[in-house]
Amino acid sequence: MNKKLFNQIKNEWHSNLWLIAELLLVSVVMWFIVDYIYVRVSVYMQPRGFDIAHCYKIDMGTLVPKDDDYVPGDTVQCNDVEELMLRLKRRPDIEAVSLSYNSYPYNRSNSDMPLKYGKMKHEGVYIRAATPEFIRVFRYEGARGETPEQLSKMLTEKGFIASNDIFKEKYGIDLTSLIGRKFFMQGDTVNLYTLLATYKPVRYSDNHEPFNSCSMLVELSRNEYGIHGELCVRAKTDQDVGFKERLWKDADKQLRVGNVYISNIESFDDIRKNYQRYDTNQMRNYLTGMGFLMFNIFLGLLGTFWFRTQQRRSEIALFKALGATNRNVFGRQIMEGLLLLSIAMIPAIIIDWNIAFAGLNQQMNGLNLNIGRFTLTVLITWLLIAIMIVLGNWLPAKKAMSIQPARALHEE
Amino acid sequence: MNINYTKQVWAHLRQDPLISTISVLGTALSIFLIMLVVMLQQVNVAPYSPESNRNRFLHVSEISYSSKPGMCNQCMSEETAKELYKSLKTPEAVTIYASFCVSSVLSAQNVTPFVAETKQTDNDFWHVFDFDFVSGKPYDKATFNAGRHVVVISESVARKLFGKTDVAGKDISLNHSSYQIVGVVKDVSILASIAYAQIWVPYSATNAGSFVDNVIGGMLSATILAHNHNELAAIKVEADKTLALYNRKLKEKGFNIISRNRPYDQEKQSIAYSANLEPDVSAMHRQQFIIIAILLLVPAINLSSMTNSRLRRRISEIGVRRAFGCTRMELLRDIVMENLVTSLLAGVIGLFICVVFAYWGADLIFAQSSFGSSNSIQVNTSMLLQPSTFLYAFVFCFILNLISSIIPAWRASHTNIVNALGGRTR
Repeated sequence: MNKKLFNQIKNEWHSNLWLIAELLLVSVVMWFIVDYIYVRVSVYMQPRGFDIAHCYKIDMGTLVPKDDDYVPGDTVQCNDVEELMLRLKRRPDIEAVSLSYNSYPYNRSNSDMPLKYGKMKHEGVYIRAATPEFIRVFRYEGARGETPEQLSKMLTEKGFIASNDIFKEKYGIDLTSLIGRKFFMQGDTVNLYTLLATYKPVRYSDNHEPFNSCSMLVELSRNEYGIHGELCVRAKTDQDVGFKERLWKDADKQLRVGNVYISNIESFDDIRKNYQRYDTNQMRNYLTGMGFLMFNIFLGLLGTFWFRTQQRRSEIALFKALGATNRNVFGRQIMEGLLLLSIAMIPAIIIDWNIAFAGLNQQMNGLNLNIGRFTLTVLITWLLIAIMIVLGNWLPAKKAMSIQPARALHEE
Repeated sequence: MNINYTKQVWAHLRQDPLISTISVLGTALSIFLIMLVVMLQQVNVAPYSPESNRNRFLHVSEISYSSKPGMCNQCMSEETAKELYKSLKTPEAVTIYASFCVSSVLSAQNVTPFVAETKQTDNDFWHVFDFDFVSGKPYDKATFNAGRHVVVISESVARKLFGKTDVAGKDISLNHSSYQIVGVVKDVSILASIAYAQIWVPYSATNAGSFVDNVIGGMLSATILAHNHNELAAIKVEADKTLALYNRKLKEKGFNIISRNRPYDQEKQSIAYSANLEPDVSAMHRQQFIIIAILLLVPAINLSSMTNSRLRRRISEIGVRRAFGCTRMELLRDIVMENLVTSLLAGVIGLFICVVFAYWGADLIFAQSSFGSSNSIQVNTSMLLQPSTFLYAFVFCFILNLISSIIPAWRASHTNIVNALGGRTR
């Protein structure tokens, strides 16, 4: 039956050309989008390595000499900030408090430096300067199974702790095996830093892959405490409701230390939403584009095959008169659409391959082209368009099925 | 003649309701999406209050410079901004302001403190951007120079503080210091990203001007207002000269500012996302072109395919008309016109959906990254319903129609009369 169908398509190639051209164009664009979404979703699904639930960031401000309440004698800012942190910690609804620079998840600022051990070197490891409790706020987990509490006790000024995958990609070595060894940081070849512990990979954000999110933590020294630091707190699990309001209520009296005051409180859910906005928007645009293309395929198939059914009335009647069942007629019409798609997919795959080869699509694990991923995305594309073809063809095929052979042939 | 077309088209549309719905729906959807793409761009570059002079703006949000440790990209210090841009002679005005909004704690008597987004500006800010004052007036040069504690607030902040908007002259507490309200302005949409804030204070009253990092880095940005659009090039030339002079001064301190073709005009600024890269306007245009081409092409092929099939059914009608002396050109024109009417109908529907969607789904379409802003995005009529938008819609309609009907029309009109009468296409 398929061979006959193929011949039929060949004989009507002139009117099928439009359909094939459309399917070709759509399947290339669709593949591009499917590939994009596939990458985004599979990256998103990987463990993040941190936990922002119940976390808040508190911004601080300081009075300047022109202000009414300015305390002239109060010049050592780190004392005020430390006192503010202690007061926050004493609150019954707060579990942990930390101060850091360029460290919290979904951060727009970052700094990185090379990390070197013997001949092994990673060019850009994100460096996070934070108080040890930072680990408890964002719940980093130790690579050897340490809890955040245990891990946070290990961070001292004697050295640093780092994600265990820093040398994994390049040298295949787990950093955990190097605990206790001494490393060079930044171009520095004099000072050595001891690796105190390692933690499970922590991603930079929802869309960053572990291999480009390698990081290390060093302890923030007390004299670096300041109002431009990131004051992050973790509320106790059941204290989220009204947490911000309670904090604001005390912000004016209890939580003002010298010239330092609280200027903003943001939940990490909001910070995340804002950080991811660009990607969320892009995802939305791609999904809209995909919906548009699929809908067009649906319309195109519906329109074209509607006419075809009308044109082939007598042909279908004859087919039925010679013993074809309703299911045969229906199946044949659906098959015709799917066969057209498969024909269009052949040049489409060649174009897709070239797009990936030229590196114009999304990267995953630093790769644009991966046989497994390519096959899968092409199959998904085929499937999605096939669904629309079946849907679009449903009505015309139903109509073809209902043709009464005797009547149609009589009219002829 | 035109009435005749319309009647004919209407008759055809009713003859096959399914197919007509498909054609109109497909075209309308495509116009809708193209218009959305255009709107997303319009929101960045089209003029609306308080950024009505967008075609006369040049922006410098950050500078890049090399120093001993390496490259730096950051905002300017007050001195750098003044030396480089405030000193320019060509432009109408230059304003210096803190690049990012900061959150400040606001309160008045009997009002629980709340946070508002604050922009720190100079007095020229009110000249460059055209705010709508509902009460009071902006702070002037003398006030700015004296560093007085004054503030301009938005209507919604005024309501939150006092329950009314004519509150100029009243005192409020801002970051635990007393400030006097000098003016109240209409709320600003977050899409006017440079002028946007909820309250505005002179940066001379806060510490934004005094923050200096590495001699030339700081917290400030500048926007230049030209007398007219054609003047932008002349301003850039002058800015380059000033930069060269300033770099000579910086040489002994070991700094060198790299221009990266700054200042940028509104369009370029709107796609700048990282200070260490010059925004690529042509790449963005290329990308937009590809998107619009796909949005046009897919439904066009669809419509072509259908027009083709439809004309096949009408081939005998064409035969009759040809036999009675209708020329090919006339036939061609008729078929194109017929499709044009359908496309226009679809275009109007598409545009309508688009405007409705832009109002109802504004948060969805125009959602922007912002630093902790929970403000909803106000989209007003003057921002979206611009004559150019309508024009775009109709041009797209026409192109769509042309692509989808010209080939089938050409083929149909060139069919042999005898064949056409017999209902054969070849």
